[in-house]
Amino acid sequence: MMLQDGSTQLLCLTASSGVPLFSRGTSKQLPFSVIGSLNGVHMFGGGQGTVLSCCETEGGGKVIWRVFQDSVMLIAVSGGGQGGPGSSKEEVVRLQRLLENVWNCMVLVLGQDELANVRNVERLKRDLRSCFSLIDQLLEDRQEGILGSLTHCADCLLPPNPTLVQQAVDGFAQAADSEFGCLIVHGRIAAATEKWWRLAPQEVVLLSALIRFLSASGSTSCDYPVFLPHGSPTVAHRLLRFQLLPGADVCVLCGPTPSLHKAETGLVCRFWSPVVETLRECLTVGERCLPGSVSLRPDVMALLLINRETRRSVSCVKTSTHHPPGDPPLPSKSRCWELLKLFYMFSMSRYFAQEETLCVSQEERTQRGTTEDFVLGFSHQPQQCYLVTEECKSYGLQTPQHQLFLLIVPSVPTFALRTVATQTLSDIVSVTGF
Amino acid sequence: MAQVPLHGSLIVSDWHRCKDSKEYFCKILHKKRRKNFGLLESPVMPPQAAVDTVHYKIFITGKSGVGKTALAARLAGLNIPNIHHETTGIETTVAYWPVKLRESGRVLFFRLQLWDCGENALRRFDHLLPSCKEQVDAVLFLFSFTDRTSFDDLSNQITKWSGPSVSRVVKLVVGTKFDLFMHCDVAERDVRDFQATWNLPVLRTGGEVSDGLGDVAPLLNCLAENLWHQDCVTASQRFQEETVTVL
Repeated sequence: MMLQDGSTQLLCLTASSGVPLFSRGTSKQLPFSVIGSLNGVHMFGGGQGTVLSCCETEGGGKVIWRVFQDSVMLIAVSGGGQGGPGSSKEEVVRLQRLLENVWNCMVLVLGQDELANVRNVERLKRDLRSCFSLIDQLLEDRQEGILGSLTHCADCLLPPNPTLVQQAVDGFAQAADSEFGCLIVHGRIAAATEKWWRLAPQEVVLLSALIRFLSASGSTSCDYPVFLPHGSPTVAHRLLRFQLLPGADVCVLCGPTPSLHKAETGLVCRFWSPVVETLRECLTVGERCLPGSVSLRPDVMALLLINRETRRSVSCVKTSTHHPPGDPPLPSKSRCWELLKLFYMFSMSRYFAQEETLCVSQEERTQRGTTEDFVLGFSHQPQQCYLVTEECKSYGLQTPQHQLFLLIVPSVPTFALRTVATQTLSDIVSVTGF
Repeated sequence: MAQVPLHGSLIVSDWHRCKDSKEYFCKILHKKRRKNFGLLESPVMPPQAAVDTVHYKIFITGKSGVGKTALAARLAGLNIPNIHHETTGIETTVAYWPVKLRESGRVLFFRLQLWDCGENALRRFDHLLPSCKEQVDAVLFLFSFTDRTSFDDLSNQITKWSGPSVSRVVKLVVGTKFDLFMHCDVAERDVRDFQATWNLPVLRTGGEVSDGLGDVAPLLNCLAENLWHQDCVTASQRFQEETVTVL
């Protein structure tokens, strides 16, 4: 039922002529003849008036095609791995998200014009290299606890003292002539201006990924030209990023002024020195993402909580301290993250309705059509679901405002799962107002 | 062109090996690695031994792929990226470095902010280069020992930085990937000729990062010495000018 992480290869070609632009992925590169055939079969379909969007091999491998702006074709190929037939739906959803994210990455760095009107293929090839760092990050998906590229919700960290950091972000952005500002702690958004939240959810996720990448290098500040795939695909903005403390970065999106030098020397200390202790408290929240005032039940191993209205999420995996000796060992931390993602995909592709805004691609909508048929087969909408496996018990529930996904230790009786889940949801929401 | 100070004439070279430097160097280290400082932090000495910090902005320039980002990371003691990725905007990195002045014995913390920008990004976006040049104190011209064209292009680059508006900018040349002698494309003689023509210090870097301080000390000390020298020259010129006006 649950798939293993297979390796994924990404191919990019020009849509009209099939010239390979780049290929990324950890596994051995596919031979040129195979790439040619993959393009050829898609082209053949096009000639017959059909769009080939997805296929599955006998060994369980998947191929997903998608053409963007009639100009660039992206193909994702994933190896079969251990997944049985039941896993294909989740995998297809994942690959479709991946292609969408990769395209958004390309627009973010290069802008839509350069990608939509290819004049010089060799130049485009060279320019596309600038996107590799971000694309590789998407493909590897290695940072634990960051689920945004999958959920298209912004990974958040709820600071212990939200008002103070919010004021600092608002004031800092305003002084930098910007309406878009955010504070990222441990790769997650701890506070952002109102306008930042009005960016498209995919943009918020993508910008967070870019900031994480820049922050991980340890550099002190950046001035990066970025195009917003939905809001401003043809005009570049400047993303200014300042490392306040290692692990805490503040960013603003701005126009021609202020210069990086001026913003750094004139504004950073003025707005952030007074709250440096508050920032340190945010850093101690760490991977838990929830302030200390929220106490989680000891039998909860991991959780992902999504606010459906604001498109934000918090997630954490607890390192268990209470574990009766003699019981089978609990899954490791990294396995918990993997299980949490799988359970999310399992629930979303089968039971829970997704927000309509997220089904941006025709392909994804078609794919979802089959899920919806299944869901519509019932006289009511599923609100809760659970799954019991050898490793853990999982419980998902949704309300009009939230979706919660929990991994719970196997020793908890199945009939008690619902109570654990509803209690966890109300505990977090009542304390943090998330 | 400004006179280049003699190596070790202004500051104590290899000071990081001396015993009396330990209390200063330990402030930039954490668990034997270089400490990463955010913008709200800086090395703090106890009040009785307070030390001044001098700030400098240094721009790293050179052909795409010569190792600008890697050099900045090396000098600041950060992880050097193992795959080359184009830098698609400006990235700055701060390196703190304690220095002892030879004459007065005074200790200073140099805060060297290294500005690094991908060549493609510079070409695509007009506003990046002026931003890098704004109030810059020094330029590092990079070439790679494994890429002849990057060496041949140096003269072009340096000429661009020779106007009167940038005459006070300290200029140094750094050859990267010096360890890859199997693929070396630039002969020692060419480097000597180049040095004679331009009268600029040429430093070499490359290879594995060993003890963290030893392999960056020559470059950081050379940079600090040149910056300090330039400051002294500027200060004395200003003094002379003022004296002339008074007379």
